[in-house]
This record gives sequence, C-alpha cells and structure tokens, in this order.
Amino acid sequence: MIEVVNLYKSFGKNEVLKDISIKIEKGEKVVVIGPSGSGKSTFLRCLNCMEDPTSGAIYFSGEDITDPKVDINLHRQKMGMVFQHFNLFANKTVLQNIMMAPIYAVKKNYKRERKAYLLNLLKSKKKRQTIAKPVRINKKEARARSKARALELLKRIGLEDKANAYPSSLSGGQKQRVAIARSLAMDPQVILFDEPTSALDPEMVGEVLELMKELALQGMTMVVVTHEMGFAREVGTRILFMDEGRILEDTTPAEFFANPKTPRAVDFLSKVL
Amino acid sequence: MQDFDVQVQNFLAQFSKPGTLEEVERGLQNTMTIALYGFIFGIVIGTLIAVIRVLPKNNIMPKSGKKIVRVLSYIRSYVIPKLLDSFCTLYVGVFRGTPIVVQLLVFYFVVLPLMGLAKVDSVTVAIIVFAMNSGAYISEIMRGGILSVDPGQMEGGRSVGMSYGATMMKVVIPQAVKNILPTLGNEFIALVKETSVVSFVGVMDIYKVFRGIGATTYEYMVPYLTMAVIYIVIVMFITILVKLMERSLRKSDRGR
Repeated sequence: MIEVVNLYKSFGKNEVLKDISIKIEKGEKVVVIGPSGSGKSTFLRCLNCMEDPTSGAIYFSGEDITDPKVDINLHRQKMGMVFQHFNLFANKTVLQNIMMAPIYAVKKNYKRERKAYLLNLLKSKKKRQTIAKPVRINKKEARARSKARALELLKRIGLEDKANAYPSSLSGGQKQRVAIARSLAMDPQVILFDEPTSALDPEMVGEVLELMKELALQGMTMVVVTHEMGFAREVGTRILFMDEGRILEDTTPAEFFANPKTPRAVDFLSKVL
Repeated sequence: MQDFDVQVQNFLAQFSKPGTLEEVERGLQNTMTIALYGFIFGIVIGTLIAVIRVLPKNNIMPKSGKKIVRVLSYIRSYVIPKLLDSFCTLYVGVFRGTPIVVQLLVFYFVVLPLMGLAKVDSVTVAIIVFAMNSGAYISEIMRGGILSVDPGQMEGGRSVGMSYGATMMKVVIPQAVKNILPTLGNEFIALVKETSVVSFVGVMDIYKVFRGIGATTYEYMVPYLTMAVIYIVIVMFITILVKLMERSLRKSDRGR
C-alpha cells in the first residue's frame, strides 16, 4: 500500500532520516517507536509529504507522491493524519470540522472532472476520448450527506452532544477523538498517528487509545508513532524501532519485546518498560 | 479677538444659510466614501500581498515527465512566487516610504495625465490612492496575523486533502482577521483622519467645507472646532462598531 524507497530527509545540515526503505501492506498496524530525536515523527510526516523528503520516493496507490507533479491533495484524502496537538480548526464547530473536508472534496472533484471534460473537448477529434459530461453536484444534497456522515461519526466517538461546540471548549481527549473522526470522514485507506496521546492528561489517554484499538479491530491500516508500549504490544502487528534516522529493527511486537536484537533497542526497552 | 459667543453666533448664522448644510453633508459623504472604499479595497490588496509573502517557495523540480512540463512547473511553483514577492516588497516600500499627500499629487498630476485619463473624478482618484496606500499597511498587519495563527491549523487542513489556498481562505485567514481586528480598527480610524488631505486634489471633504465656512467670515476658530468634534464622533462610532464585531468573532474562544 505504501512503499518507501531510499528516503532521505535533512533539515539544513542535520540529516534526520538516512536511507529508509520499507513497505507497508494493507491492514497492517505499524507502530514506530524509538528515543526522541530519532526521526520517527519526521518519517511519519514524510509519508504524506507533510515534510518534503530530500531524496527518495514514496509510492502510494502506485504513484510516487513525492513528485511535485502529482496532486498530493488527492492522495492525502486517502491518508488520514492525527496530530499530537490535534490541529482542529479553531474557528469551526466540531461538526464543521468534520464536514469541511468531505464537502471540499466533492466540489473539488467535480471541478477536476469538468476540467478534464473541457480539455478533452479542445482536443482534435482523433485524440478525443469519450468522457461523460460530469453531473453537476447538488450542493444541498452533498452537504446533507456529509452532515449525516459527520453525525454518525460523532455518535461513534460518543460526542454527539458536542456537535455545535467549538474545539476550545473540549478536553484534550475529546479533541483528539474529534480529530480522529475528522480524518475518518474522508474514508481514508490508512491513518497516520503522530504521537496522538503525548499531549494528553494521563486520564484521557485511555479513551483515545480505546478508539484507536476499535479502528484497528475494524481493519484500518495504521501507522502509529507512540510512546505507549502497551498499545504497541497489544494492537501493533509490526514494530519499527528507529534511532538516529535509521530503522534498526523491523519485527513483530512479540519478538521485539521478548528478545530485541540491537543493543540500542535493549537499552531503550530497559528504560521505558 | 472677538468674543467667543459672537463667533459662535456668526458661525450659526453662516451655518443656517441655505445650502450650507447640504455642503457639510456632501463633505461628510465624500470623507466617508473615500475612507470606507479605500479601506475595503485596501483589505483586498493587503490580504493578497500578505498571502503572496507567506507563500512557500518550493525550490524543487518535478522528477519525471517531459522537460517542458517540468520547467513550467518549476516556474509556477518557484519563479513566479519569488517574482511576485519582490514586486510586493517594492510596492510596500514605495507606499510606506512616501507621504499620502505626495502619492495623491503624483497620481493625480503625473500618473493620470501620462495615462491620458485627465478627467477622472477626484473622489475616485482619492479612493484608488487610499486603497493602494492602506493596502501596503494592511498587508503587513495581515501578514503578522497570518503568522500568528498556529502552523498546525494549516497542517490540519492539508492533512485532510484541502489545498493550500482553501485552507488559507477557510481556516487561517478567518483566525488571522480575528487576531488583528483591533489593529485593523486602528488602521481604519487612521484612514478616516488621513482623508483630510484629499482637498489637495480638489475633493470636497469635511475639511474643505469647514474651511469654506470659515473663509466667508475670516473666523476659523468655531468652524474648525466643529470639524474636530465631527471627526471625534465618527471615530467613536467606529470604535464601537469594531468592539461589536470583535465580540461576535470571539464566540469560538474559551470562556465566552
């Protein structure tokens, strides 16, 4: 599903990621762990081009998304992302937060189709393909549909009563659950979690992990950067241990926690467990 | 100096002459038209410049495709933003570096004749100059506002597949405007008062009307005092309006 080939990333002279190549299959729950400054967040942010890699390629549904020619927005619709600091839109209500991207996508896709259709008409008869005229979208209907979907998601995360609240009035755990719902609204094929529980009070970590577990059980492909070793062991199907910009271990959780191979991993585990 | 009472009497007598009230009304209307339209277009110009200046300049070439396509994409994502940025820097430099009176005079007596448009209405000229001038100032205010919004907001929008422009318009700029509203109010107040120089190009504004009233009797004290009071009332009115707007925009804040 996602294939990373010889990925390098540097910030100025500081080389953060060094020659990372990895393949992530559909349905996998990849947990990335490692000491801070090991490049795990940068690695995750490179996966959806939130950071542009210095060199290397990332293939998602068959296309190299690091190529500026590729419409990255189209791919990001299918790659959800959940941040450490939630990044909910502060000027929108919870409901609007969830509805915004789907409505945008519907409009944008119509515009894209119309453009393709019109450009096709300009071509000579020989080269012209048969493209059906895109159907005009009914804005009201699109809105109603994404609203219904948003309410359904809110119900699923147990926050229906907060639909019209602004993010600033929510607790950290609630914000993170809304953020997860926001990325789910696009029906992504994979969700990237960037330390989703690191900014939360200890009491609220549970509710967010619970929701993530539920998603995992439903078969969502997930890439999770976290410090929650319990979650890694319980939910993960694959562990990537990173240090100094390299993946040192790539194995199953059982194997990793029982007998880590590299001294660095042994040292790390002795500190966190 | 004559007794103040007498001066007031003279002024009132002058004021009650037929046509004077209409003149004042017209002056007030011109002043407010220039300030308001100047401000609105200034916001448009300022926002445009601010967005251009915070635009990321990606110095990367596409990896694959025909050479011409790659070069075009490079020009679109790097060369054009860079050029626009330099142009905006120049624009802001020129408009902040010269007094508004100079800009008015140059525009009216140099630029327009050169363009062969000598017969443009002077109110329109004033609106254009004030819009361009306040655009330069507002661009810096707006840029500060955009930079004050948490970069995570942009990331949040981009992560769900919204484009840079859409996230900017729907998420970042509304929050930026909320942050800079008091400063924008300040700018508008400054603009209202700065319009008192438009008589340089022959616009009948409040100042020119009251100068006219004073000139008929050679007594300037009371007319100019009245003019000052009118300006204060306008400014106070704007202050209240800004406060109301701020309150309605703050509804997404904590502890409303």
